Amino acid sequence: MVTLEINANEFVLHPSGAVYWREKQTWLLADIHLGKVAHFRKNGIAVPRAAEGSFYQKIALLLSLFPVKRLLFLGDLFHSTQNNEWYLFEAWVKKQPYQMVLISGNHDLIPPWKLESLGIEVVSEQQEAGFLFHHFPDQSTKSFLFCGHLHPGVKLTGAGKQQLKLPCFYHTPTQLILPAFGAFTGLHLLKPKATDKVYVSTGKEVIEIVERV
Amino acid sequence: MSWAAQWFKSNNWEPQPFQKQCWKAYKEGKSGMLHAPTGSGKTYALWGGIINELKANEVPPKGLTALWITPLRALGVEIQKATQKMLQDCNPELYVGLRTADTIQSERSKQFKKPPFGLVSTPESLHVLMSRKEHPHYFGDLKVVVIDEWHELLGSKRGVQVELALAYLKSFLPQLKVWGISATLGNKALAREILLGPTSNFAVIDAKIHKKIKVESLLPKTMERFPWRGHLGIHLLPEALKIIKKNKSTLVFTNTRAQCEIWFNKLLEKAPELAGSIAMHHGSIDKKIRLWVEEALRKETLKVVVCTSSLDLGVDFSPVENCIQIGSPKGVGRFIQRAGRSGHRPKAGSTIYFLPTHALELIESVALQRGISEQQIEDRTPYLNSYDVLIQFLMTLAVGAGFYPEKIYPLIQSTFCFQNLDPERWEWILNFLLQGSQSLEHYDEYKKLIRTEDGRLEVANKKIALHHRLSMGTIVSANDLKIRYQKGGYLGTIEEWFISKLKPGDTFAFSGKILALIRIQNMEVIVKKSKAKQAKVPAWVGGRMSFSAHLSELLKKTLYDQQSLKTPEFKSLLPILEQQQKESILPQSHELLIERFETKEGVHTVFYPFEGYALHEAMASLIAYRISLLSPISFSMSFNDYGFELLSDQAFDEELFLAHNLLTPEGLYEDLTQSINISEMARRRFRDIAVIAGLVFQGYPNKPKKAKHLQSGSQLFFEVFKEYEPDNLLYQQAVEETFDHGIEHGRMQLVFEQLEQKKIIWKNCNHPTPFSFPLITDRIRSKLSSETVEDRIKKMYLQLEKYA
Repeated sequence: MVTLEINANEFVLHPSGAVYWREKQTWLLADIHLGKVAHFRKNGIAVPRAAEGSFYQKIALLLSLFPVKRLLFLGDLFHSTQNNEWYLFEAWVKKQPYQMVLISGNHDLIPPWKLESLGIEVVSEQQEAGFLFHHFPDQSTKSFLFCGHLHPGVKLTGAGKQQLKLPCFYHTPTQLILPAFGAFTGLHLLKPKATDKVYVSTGKEVIEIVERV
Repeated sequence: MSWAAQWFKSNNWEPQPFQKQCWKAYKEGKSGMLHAPTGSGKTYALWGGIINELKANEVPPKGLTALWITPLRALGVEIQKATQKMLQDCNPELYVGLRTADTIQSERSKQFKKPPFGLVSTPESLHVLMSRKEHPHYFGDLKVVVIDEWHELLGSKRGVQVELALAYLKSFLPQLKVWGISATLGNKALAREILLGPTSNFAVIDAKIHKKIKVESLLPKTMERFPWRGHLGIHLLPEALKIIKKNKSTLVFTNTRAQCEIWFNKLLEKAPELAGSIAMHHGSIDKKIRLWVEEALRKETLKVVVCTSSLDLGVDFSPVENCIQIGSPKGVGRFIQRAGRSGHRPKAGSTIYFLPTHALELIESVALQRGISEQQIEDRTPYLNSYDVLIQFLMTLAVGAGFYPEKIYPLIQSTFCFQNLDPERWEWILNFLLQGSQSLEHYDEYKKLIRTEDGRLEVANKKIALHHRLSMGTIVSANDLKIRYQKGGYLGTIEEWFISKLKPGDTFAFSGKILALIRIQNMEVIVKKSKAKQAKVPAWVGGRMSFSAHLSELLKKTLYDQQSLKTPEFKSLLPILEQQQKESILPQSHELLIERFETKEGVHTVFYPFEGYALHEAMASLIAYRISLLSPISFSMSFNDYGFELLSDQAFDEELFLAHNLLTPEGLYEDLTQSINISEMARRRFRDIAVIAGLVFQGYPNKPKKAKHLQSGSQLFFEVFKEYEPDNLLYQQAVEETFDHGIEHGRMQLVFEQLEQKKIIWKNCNHPTPFSFPLITDRIRSKLSSETVEDRIKKMYLQLEKYA
């Protein structure tokens, strides 16, 4: 894990793709795309169900790491319209003591009242402690922005024509783009600028890439 | 005298012996196999028999009687014309229809309402016909199925489609005759068995036409500027032009569509007077343009056509005087076929000019000539256990009339491809279709097939049926986008990944024109003509061709044979062979050469078994895997038909490598499986499998947006299966295919047994050698690593965005 200090607040980058905001005891999670596997299956495409179930295992692990008050979803919590995955999610939410907030993403088609009936607050963006939380990246915000949407990844190269493509936390001077937390999601490769910082996740470790060409 | 014989006579033609033999065998009610090259009169050999039978019946049949399957749509046009001509003279009331993906809707409906006597079609279109509910009735009167160019279908998954279709038709048409037409190939008996199935009532007829084929290599004047690595062959363009100018008409065969585009442009640049009499033909060019080119070739209005394998087959272009082959054709059979495109009248000889794109291909030219003179033609390896094609076929039946699993299982097992399909795997396939390969869980909403009360399986809903109809038949497919002018007019198709790299205003070469991208809209690429001189040339993702086993044997013989030195090809190669000898050695037949040298890219270790691309790909992974067990190391691998390269950032030790006997055949299959899993060779195979099995939904025509929530690349599927469902048969198939097909069954074992007998010559060189050059400059590479990802990352860096 890597800890970043931004505006005197501490943010822990976890290998799962989630970010822990220490001052507010909050986990930030982007692009989970729940129900994507179910959506495919409903349409006759046999994606293994286990790929969806991994969400609940991953998050259980996160919740045991630090004291937690709140989960903040940075959009695309659900992949499509409602399907049976909803009932699993509903059952899970009911067992959680934490506050939950969803910042709507482009995939979030489930009506807000359904989420609100589970106690999940739904907003289009959130301003807090001098930070902005939003689904889409935006270079022009005044406050430092936490966002998702892109499913960022980078291609690394090395001696002997070695190459690796990995998901990453993408840190520009004004924003931090989180990798997708969901299992059945793709990667969007980015080409960093000199002012950007890149933290790749191997699933086990988060590593800052310092060396550049 | 039979009707066909009379018809020949009335046309002043003399039937050839093999044609008479076919008519006779057909009359006796036999199935059979005809081995005859294109342009020999093979169509009338079979069609004559069919018409004779028609004439013998007093009442002409009402339904579809004869089905003619060809691998290429272009061929279908030709065959429809020829068969129609004969049929019309026999009974003007009857007709032959053409049913391919190009056939317009109104013609399709007409064919269904009033079935033609004969139908010319492709394997895909045959499956589309079987997806109609009424198909048992439609095929009810069918007497014969002819599979044309069977050698071409045999080694592909379309061959599996044919096997399944035939087994299925025979299940309700027990009297059905099946005839195959095939060029000569190595495994004739197997090819026949697969097509005809278990029957003793068959005939094998050989046309015994061996055309004289003359091969001439185009040699560069000096070797100094001759490239060491595979290139486009443009340096020899003046030589090619001389031949083009001298002859009335020439076909220029290239191996890739990109090469085809480039050669077309360069020829025109060098000889502008060719404008108007030069054309291009490849699979991505719009059908109308392709048909126009084919027609123009027949009418002798074109002087030169630059083409790819799209013109390999059948279509009769009698006027073509000669052929030029750019780069290696990779097999004796293919070379003969291409050579056969010229001098296309029975008994006329053929000349083919071989234009090498790099030095080592001159050795290949000699090997090919040897193969032709010894009539050594390679086998075509049929596919085994193609679960993806089976799943597609079962879906096809399910969207039509539905099927009963217990009835369909034995007929599937009767095919060659699925002869080993045990009940366990059959159950897995049914479960995949019914429950998405999970056990029943109450919240799972998987929908594909449902079981009716009487046990029939049918498609779950209309949407699933529509998805299947839209994507079936896509045996080879990528995300193709149509290219069209702003004001209308289609030019052809291009792969999405290429166009996605362009920005509006960027130019690219296509169909011989320089085009500027305006925008991408509704799965169409809107372009306009551009006056720019420079343009990107699209690359099309296509499988690389590998040497056949025969050609690699021939190549080794040629290389080790002192006699070869007397050929003009070897004489002009001499400077390069001398340099190879100086920097390293020229290996002898009992030696395995391994070269080691360093460049700024890393440490190169190059092996030269001369066994062909496909085998080298697997060998590279295997050896890399065995080395990686000794200590953590990461490799980037490249391979060609001559050898393979292992590139690493650290050197592995020569002594250690030799001492551990890493070339042993012992544990070969275990290690190979491991290395395939680690190096993810199977990943590339999985791309086709995912499309064929219907996992990758390509979207609705003209409505790409609506399907967006259902789109996902095959790569993501591969990863999800690998992690969460490694026993998934489609994932397993990708691994098995890498074994069975990529590397030809059993050959690997043999090669390693031979390697063990060889003397290993390890050469530490100061520079890259001529032999190594094509390998180390190859950009298409595989990876294998035994280091942890974390350790690898620590040695890596980021490519920064370039500032304009």
